[in-house]
Amino acid sequence: MAGLVPAPSPGVVAKKPARRCAEVCLELLCVESVRIFHEKQSGPAAAAALEAVGFRVGQQLAERYTRDKPRLGDTLEIIKFVCKDFWQALFKKQVDNLKTNHRGVYVLQDNGFRWLQRLSPPSAPASATAAAGAPASSAGSLPPGAGAVDPAREEAVRQLALSHLHLPCGIVRGALCHLGVSCSVEADPKQLPSCTFTVRIMA
Amino acid sequence: MGIACVAFIGPQNNPLYLRSMDPASDEQYLKLHYVVHCALDAVEEKVLLKRGPGDAQDAYLGLLYPTEDFKVYGYLTNTHLKILLLLDDEGPAKDEVVMRVFRRLHSLYVDTASNPFHVFGLPISSARFDVQLEQIVAVYPKPGASLGGFLT
Repeated sequence: MAGLVPAPSPGVVAKKPARRCAEVCLELLCVESVRIFHEKQSGPAAAAALEAVGFRVGQQLAERYTRDKPRLGDTLEIIKFVCKDFWQALFKKQVDNLKTNHRGVYVLQDNGFRWLQRLSPPSAPASATAAAGAPASSAGSLPPGAGAVDPAREEAVRQLALSHLHLPCGIVRGALCHLGVSCSVEADPKQLPSCTFTVRIMA
Repeated sequence: MGIACVAFIGPQNNPLYLRSMDPASDEQYLKLHYVVHCALDAVEEKVLLKRGPGDAQDAYLGLLYPTEDFKVYGYLTNTHLKILLLLDDEGPAKDEVVMRVFRRLHSLYVDTASNPFHVFGLPISSARFDVQLEQIVAVYPKPGASLGGFLT
């Protein structure tokens, strides 16, 4: 994990002596999985592979988290389940805003997406060591001295964030498809760490 | 009340697992498949009926229909997995007891599905699943045994 300086994050405090895992393990796993997939395959193939992994995980999580819940009726109830219980279990918070156009497109907005929290764009005085917190992955290493060109740097940061969003998109898509809602999920990192997920129902 | 057979059916009505608790011949399995297949229609009917106003939308569907040898009980999960239990026609079966069996079977399925090597849609082929299923089912007395002593 070259160049990664993880921000000090408290591990989950174990309330009982049994079986807890520090959250930093999950964060490091996600970051490293993005790096490895992008190393082994180029751009779109790596994205598709990560999304496929997320898809399967999403199916399994959907099984687990719907286990003791009452029957989920129509599509809207399923989306609300994903926004509330599923998001809570996976990302420790609920989705902040849900919008729909009532024609099969839902936009889920999370103002502090947990898996992007540790990604921060490099600060303006661009020296080689200024990448505090931003993993210098092969997908997006930023040239030093790029401080002057804001749009280019922003685009690079956006691409970096997108590469980390394939896995969560896959998880959401897997969960929805397994619950009977066939759809596609796209993520849009507007302003780190806030992010919107657009779910398009396939008729 | 004894459990004669357990069946797991997937979302596309594809059989994932069918196990008879009595050692059965091939003919018997054919009959069980037939009964389970017919029961799927009853599952869908029951789900449609339950969509009436004010009905608790629950996973447990209750007694689906009685045949000459068995009583078929059904359970439908949120992920459209159906679990069917064929009970011997021996005396009344309490709903809570049957519900408990279904819940344990559901938990077993969730744990098995969480295996990274599990493929959704294919028949379940885990030895551990077989063993634990037997343990869940074995809690219920065989026909002719006394009524007391259900373990939770």
